[in-house]
Amino acid sequence: MSAKIEVSFQLNGKQRELQVLPSANLRDVLRGEGMFSVKFGSASGETGAAAVLFDGKLASSDVILAAQADGHSITTVESLNTERELHPIQAAFAAVGALQSGYSAGAMVLGTMALLEQTSDPSESEIRDMLGGILDRETAYVKPVEAVKRAAAVLRGETVTGFEPMILTPLTDGKNAAIYDAKNKPPPGSGAVPRLIPSRDVPEMAVVGKPEVKVDAVRLAKGNPAFTDDIEPRAMLYCRLLTSPHAHANIVDIDDTAALALEGVHAVLHHKNVARIKYASGGQSWPNPHPHDQVSFDTKVRHVGDRVAAVAADTIEIAEEAVRLIKVEYEVLPAVFDEREAMLPGAPKIHDEVDTEEIFDADKNIVHEIKAQRGDVEKALASAPHVFEQTFRVHQVQQCPIEPHISIAWIDEDERMVIRTATQVPFHARRMVAPLLEMDIKDIRIIKPRIGGGFGAKQEMLLEDIVGHLAKATRRPCRLELTREEEFASSRTRHPQTITYRTGVDDDGKLVAQDMYVIGNTGPYGTHGYTVQTVSGMRGLSQYNCPNKRFHCDVVYTNIPVPGAYRGYGAPQAEFALEAHLEDIAIELGYDVIEFKRKNWVTAGSVIDIAPHLGERAVVDGELDEYPIVMTEGIEECVAQAMREIGWHRRDDAAWREPADRPHIRRGLGFAFCMHGTAIPFLDMGGCSIKLNDDGSFNMLVGATDLGTGADTVLGQIAAEVLGVRLEDIKVYSSDTDMTPFDTGAYASSTTYISGTAAMRAAEVARTRIKERAAMLLDVEQPCTIELRDRRAYAPDGSSVSMEDIALDSLHTQEQEQIMGTASYVSPDCPPPFAAQLVEVEVDIETGQVTVPKMVMAVDCGVAINPITASGQVEGGMLQALGYAHCEEFAYDDAGKMLNTSFGPYKIYRADEMPETVVYLVQTMEDSGPFGAKAVAEIPKDGVAPALRNAILNATGAAINDLPFTPERVWAALNDK
Amino acid sequence: MTVSMPSSVDETLRLLSDDPAATILAGGTDAMVEINYEHRRPASVVSLRRVNELATWSIDGGTVRLGATVPYVEIMNSELAAASPGLAQASRTVGSSQIRNTGTVGGNLATGSPAGDTIPVLAALDAIVEIASVRGIREVAVVDLIVGVKRTVLEPDELIVAIRFPVASGPQEFLKIGPRNAMVISVASCALVINQAERSVACALGSVSPAPLRCGDAEEFAAANIDWTSDGIRITDPRTLETFGSMVADAASPIDDHRSTAAYRKHGIAVMARRALTRATTS
Ligand SMILES: Cc1cc2nc3c(=O)[nH]c(=O)nc-3n(C[C@H](O)[C@H](O)[C@H](O)COP(=O)(O)OP(=O)(O)OC[C@H]3O[C@@H](n4cnc5c(N)ncnc54)[C@H](O)[C@@H]3O)c2cc1C
Ligand code: FES
Repeated sequence: MSAKIEVSFQLNGKQRELQVLPSANLRDVLRGEGMFSVKFGSASGETGAAAVLFDGKLASSDVILAAQADGHSITTVESLNTERELHPIQAAFAAVGALQSGYSAGAMVLGTMALLEQTSDPSESEIRDMLGGILDRETAYVKPVEAVKRAAAVLRGETVTGFEPMILTPLTDGKNAAIYDAKNKPPPGSGAVPRLIPSRDVPEMAVVGKPEVKVDAVRLAKGNPAFTDDIEPRAMLYCRLLTSPHAHANIVDIDDTAALALEGVHAVLHHKNVARIKYASGGQSWPNPHPHDQVSFDTKVRHVGDRVAAVAADTIEIAEEAVRLIKVEYEVLPAVFDEREAMLPGAPKIHDEVDTEEIFDADKNIVHEIKAQRGDVEKALASAPHVFEQTFRVHQVQQCPIEPHISIAWIDEDERMVIRTATQVPFHARRMVAPLLEMDIKDIRIIKPRIGGGFGAKQEMLLEDIVGHLAKATRRPCRLELTREEEFASSRTRHPQTITYRTGVDDDGKLVAQDMYVIGNTGPYGTHGYTVQTVSGMRGLSQYNCPNKRFHCDVVYTNIPVPGAYRGYGAPQAEFALEAHLEDIAIELGYDVIEFKRKNWVTAGSVIDIAPHLGERAVVDGELDEYPIVMTEGIEECVAQAMREIGWHRRDDAAWREPADRPHIRRGLGFAFCMHGTAIPFLDMGGCSIKLNDDGSFNMLVGATDLGTGADTVLGQIAAEVLGVRLEDIKVYSSDTDMTPFDTGAYASSTTYISGTAAMRAAEVARTRIKERAAMLLDVEQPCTIELRDRRAYAPDGSSVSMEDIALDSLHTQEQEQIMGTASYVSPDCPPPFAAQLVEVEVDIETGQVTVPKMVMAVDCGVAINPITASGQVEGGMLQALGYAHCEEFAYDDAGKMLNTSFGPYKIYRADEMPETVVYLVQTMEDSGPFGAKAVAEIPKDGVAPALRNAILNATGAAINDLPFTPERVWAALNDK
Repeated sequence: MTVSMPSSVDETLRLLSDDPAATILAGGTDAMVEINYEHRRPASVVSLRRVNELATWSIDGGTVRLGATVPYVEIMNSELAAASPGLAQASRTVGSSQIRNTGTVGGNLATGSPAGDTIPVLAALDAIVEIASVRGIREVAVVDLIVGVKRTVLEPDELIVAIRFPVASGPQEFLKIGPRNAMVISVASCALVINQAERSVACALGSVSPAPLRCGDAEEFAAANIDWTSDGIRITDPRTLETFGSMVADAASPIDDHRSTAAYRKHGIAVMARRALTRATTS
């Protein structure tokens, strides 16, 4: 270790002299000084999460040597936090909903500061250029750009109004298709503003449906220490993983002598010293689906990046050095990466161990065989006048949360294990980690702080067992954070699939049979393998009416980095294939594409018949007397609004399609119809408890996991509506397994619907008691006649008492009691949200380069509890979906090593590349949901890939059935058209 | 590890002479990535941040002299942009605003990556690199500086001081292709520099060969077929543009890799070169 050197610089206006390691980068030094707004995104400066102002200019502190700051001035967001109030720039970010996870909020606020220093009225492209180096996976930069404009206006002294949705009149009667009128232009206005089409069935409400500012906006805008890594227990050790360099190998021997001998190393764990206990890492309800094919450290590695050993040491540098000193002898085995090849005779057997049960056919690497059928598909196909067959291939991508996986574990004063961790599933993680650590569930506490994005990657018990083992071994707090490279190769990804559809159509254009065969690539472990492919079957066979349907899926093992849950689960894969397949059928049969889909898509009253036969709670045929039906849908309104917004008639405008001044450009528009689920019926459960405080405010405890999604805000709004108070009167605390009620977690688009209903019911329980106490105080006979609004309880005669007085009375004066309500909810229903996704494309027919100028999604998500956060979900979902469709892709060498483990070569969309997006929220009143809500989080992942594919087809005549649409793939398709 | 912060070129050269194994740090946007990943574990670092003379530029007669540590943002936003529009275009495509605020042309050249964005432009400009050491100054052409993937002729104790190239006298173009509108690493890039005064054409390619590549035959062909007039340049026969494109593509011998096949790269180069010449001769 080298001696420390002194650097002296201005930090947020104060002169500082610091002793730093010569090799330390500026980010680490600033975090050490309590500047928690400066985040880790990667070691290579590409995420921008660590941006600071260096002499007033935006710079990435992770690629600046701390010593180079000597004599310079460094500014972080903390410089703005001199008062409780937010600085106008921070306030603008909060006001327009620009903070989702808020992980990169500090960087964005600083960039805005520097930009507004240069120009008081920056152009859109100047703003996007500034944000271009700050990656964000959640907002699609839509609201951040709006925030910068707003901040500029405020600082110029202009008055700004509240950020509210644009209310539009419907184009349909809510049922029938609208007649498209090219002369009817869409309303002008910033795309950042959600368009809201209200339903007459929705009553007027005080808090629900309102653009409330997120409850966590202040702490995020200030960059306050809210994330896992922002708290460091004393004497904490830093951990690192040793991962496999081979795609498939037996570990013949591990020698940790040299590593252990290194000074500062406290533990080296591997298969020789950690008990072999089988599990499945997917964060799912008990009992976790089989097979349980993982152990904390195995004697075999099954992908490049698989765990081999873990080290805990005094510093990261020592831990890294120790990792290099571990000697591992491998017996390298042949590997297989393609799901089609893995099933062939002679393919290497990936799970040859004897202690994994319930692999369907281990010799063929088939983990699961999934089958479901309605009617008789073969018979219907045999007699159908038109039969079409197509095969699609969808690829592997990663969730790319800007905050990588991170967990910190320590043993507390009661000998209990506390794990502070970036997880979407704290309660599942507690239950699943307990047996691995050979501890009781009651002796484990999982704390989920703010999370810098998850998108499914954190619906796993991924690092919790490792830090737990290390904390047990060292009896010191242990912190493990994945590097960006590990986040790609050693966490979770999206399942690649090969999807074949056979579809029979009658002479009226009605579907008579749909046969879907999927080979799902679950990589080396089965985590989420069964359920993801099941969702592919559900989503691939639910949105069109058809009397005969069949789903058959082989889920196979391969040696690619592990697929798991990724927002949308199996739906984006299936909907890409389905919407492409039906597009081609429509064209082949001479129908207008939307007309053809409309003939077949489900509407209110349609039966959803395949879903009950798939999944963890599947029923066998005949066991069900009643199938779920679609209760609410705003499909035609979505389609009509989206068509108008994109200008659908341009599809027929030759001058637009082939611009005379740009002869190598072809333009086109594409459509995809989308349907998703809302939570898993009979399985997803959420709990909530709420209690009244002296001042008439409430503490609300929820198990639900806010990942930046706005869950805390939405649940708070629901409770506030029930209790007749303001959102700010509800203090939400979420997901700490010691404190809050149970919740299955943040996945399957369940939070608003399931946890929201729990919140509503808990608030209702409290409300009943509040009314009773109010009736007592107001001398009213019947408590049910009392009304709660504006933080008061009103009697029918107009007399009233404040919430505060009710609270003081009940806590201190007479018949004292704590007014509280607790409730939980599990739903028998799964009301589907629907959407129309439209994409505009420009294809360079000489290079194959694809540019998307605009995307429109009109979504029926019931009642959007908060239209701002709901539109943010849709925007962010579309960004991820566009990356999936267009440019994100794992690249490997022949030995299965991922080559593009950073955001240079692995391309995710940046602010300066994003198309214009416009979001329409079409209200419907879903009676089963809290205040009419359905889900919104995942449906924006479903339609972009097929709509883009169909747009490219419309523009060029090239039908491309493999993702993503890289220039070369498009060019090749244009050539063999 | 030790860190030195010299404040003059002479002091820097002495430090490098005493300790040739030291790593030079300009903006740090390449070197720090390697240090963070421990691909490079230098025992000593010499930071150029305080060497102000390296961060200056001048235009003298027909020549631009660009100090090695002038950051991209300066090239884009100063008079340099007019004096070398091709270099300004290339600078605008680098990384992101943070990277352009700190990254330098000297660092881009010394790294010598095939994907370095300024390299094809400087190669097309016939730029000269001024290299200093305690032994004195030597001058090397950009095409001779980089000899392989991330390999240069720089001696361990040598410092790039400045880059010299002629002030633009005619159109300059810089084009890239890749999956997105903007991108960090391109499948291929192409720089075209037309010198109206000398009636010459220069074309260089990036990302397709270990070292920067000039396309001599195509350049001569274009120069011979351009209609050089005093009020601008024209190409009368559109087939000339096509032929130029394929001649440039023929000069490259791209490889297959995970980003692209050789066939596509070759095709892309032909399209880019043709477009560059089309733009240059129609504006
Ligand atoms: C997120 C990100 C995105 C990037 N995107 C791009 C891109 O789009 N296009 C592109 O071309 N590059 C890109 N880069 C790479 C890098 O920014 C550029 O190559 C930049 O020009 C390097 O300059 P620097 O001053 O930061 O170099 P440094 O990192 O300081 O130095 C780079 C190398 O050159 C040596 N060196 C530096 N200066 C001198 C000198 N005067 N004399 C001798 N040796 C010297 C150093 O020792 C080191 O080996 C990116 C980097 C990052 C982190
Ligand atoms: S409370 Fe008894 S009837 Fe209303």
